[in-house]
Amino acid sequence: MSVRGKFKNWAYSTFLSLACAGILLSGCATAPPPEDKEATAAFKEANDPYEPFNRAMWEFNLGLDKVILRPVTSVYLAIVPDPMQNSVHNFLQNLRGPVIFVNDLFQGDLDRAETTLLRFTMNSTIGVLGIFDVASELGYEGHDEDFGQTLAKGGVEPGPYLVLPIFGPSNPRDGVGLVADMLIDPFTWLTPLEFRIGRAMATAVDKRARNFDQINDMEKNSLDFYSAVRSLYRQKRRDEINNGAPMENNSVPGSLSVLPEDKPEDQQSEAAPIGQ
Amino acid sequence: MHRKPFLALGAFALVVFLHTSPAVALDGEAENFVRVMGKKVFASLGEKGISDRERTKRFTVLLPEALDLEYIARFTLGRYWRVATEDQKIEYTRLFKKFVIQAYANRFKGLSGKTFNVLHSRSIAANQVLVLSEIIIPNQPVVRVNWRVRSKENTHKITDIMVEGISMSVTQRDEFVSVIRQTGGKVSGLIRALRKKTSGN
Repeated sequence: MSVRGKFKNWAYSTFLSLACAGILLSGCATAPPPEDKEATAAFKEANDPYEPFNRAMWEFNLGLDKVILRPVTSVYLAIVPDPMQNSVHNFLQNLRGPVIFVNDLFQGDLDRAETTLLRFTMNSTIGVLGIFDVASELGYEGHDEDFGQTLAKGGVEPGPYLVLPIFGPSNPRDGVGLVADMLIDPFTWLTPLEFRIGRAMATAVDKRARNFDQINDMEKNSLDFYSAVRSLYRQKRRDEINNGAPMENNSVPGSLSVLPEDKPEDQQSEAAPIGQ
Repeated sequence: MHRKPFLALGAFALVVFLHTSPAVALDGEAENFVRVMGKKVFASLGEKGISDRERTKRFTVLLPEALDLEYIARFTLGRYWRVATEDQKIEYTRLFKKFVIQAYANRFKGLSGKTFNVLHSRSIAANQVLVLSEIIIPNQPVVRVNWRVRSKENTHKITDIMVEGISMSVTQRDEFVSVIRQTGGKVSGLIRALRKKTSGN
């Protein structure tokens, strides 16, 4: 109990002092002068008023990744056979079942809630504590949900982009969602601290392992890794909130629309046959 | 007496047909284009045992056939396209093509064993069609890939690829615009960064 309390205190105060230090040191990004229309529009689109703080956090996280997560993941990928890696992933994903179920319900999606419940029941029993994803093989494909998405469905705006220490890209809405999911999760309350730490670390390694090549590739091939990931996060969340439904054209700001210069030219070429 | 309503119906059908057929045909054509292109890419770039250099060579040939690179280049410069000078536009477009080859060629490694299925398509603008497809990888979740195809004078070109809802064009644009902002809102700053990034070639 005292260990748990101490850890919580430590984590809390570390988080607070890092956040304070970051904001004090770097402050807010200065908005471009309003007469510079291009820069102002770009600044608004990025939705990142705390960019200096976020970049500092981003560097901090990258440092942690280089020193701890990436080396550990490399070893994991090298020594653990693929089928076992799949089992680890299935086991961790199955633990998320209750949280997904509750968020399915919050979003009023009874069909998906039923699927999640069936999956969790089947995989926890026949699937040996979730190690085998038998439900998928029986046609009950899994999906993910979280409280950030539930808030979004309820009309809550994401707020500015925020890079959290350790947790990485986020925003106030998804940050609140992260805490809510932890509170909703029965495993938070039913399992000992050691299990929870192990689960958190395994989840981090599993996630990193599954995106290992893509992350390396992106870091290598980007001009500005930070802003590429910022864009990626915004798009990924939008896709998750819509449950993967392709967007209607131009319905979302920032989606690829017809270029303004393109319009007259195309209308001409389409109008031509009628005139003939 | 019986012929009049028939004629009217015929005329109506003709009007409907004339109105809808180009769009329907465009859907089908765009879908087919993606299917053929996909097959080609899988066969050519996914071939086992070829070197990275050979893959890059093949990618360089396939790229302009599949993608409307001028269009994408313009899009990825965002609102700064309008403020760029003619010389900057030309230089930027040249470097952009080089950058795409360098950044994307080797993402097509390990395509063998994966299946590419075109699902369906729908019109999203006067001359643009969204083609939905999936890539099936054994023992892994299906990857959703959507293609934006722009048709002009009977030729079709891809203007965007969206993997699991993440648009390549939008991601690239957001990154480029951010680089421009950091270099004081100058397109020349991005050109310099691109030149540096692609100078290894």
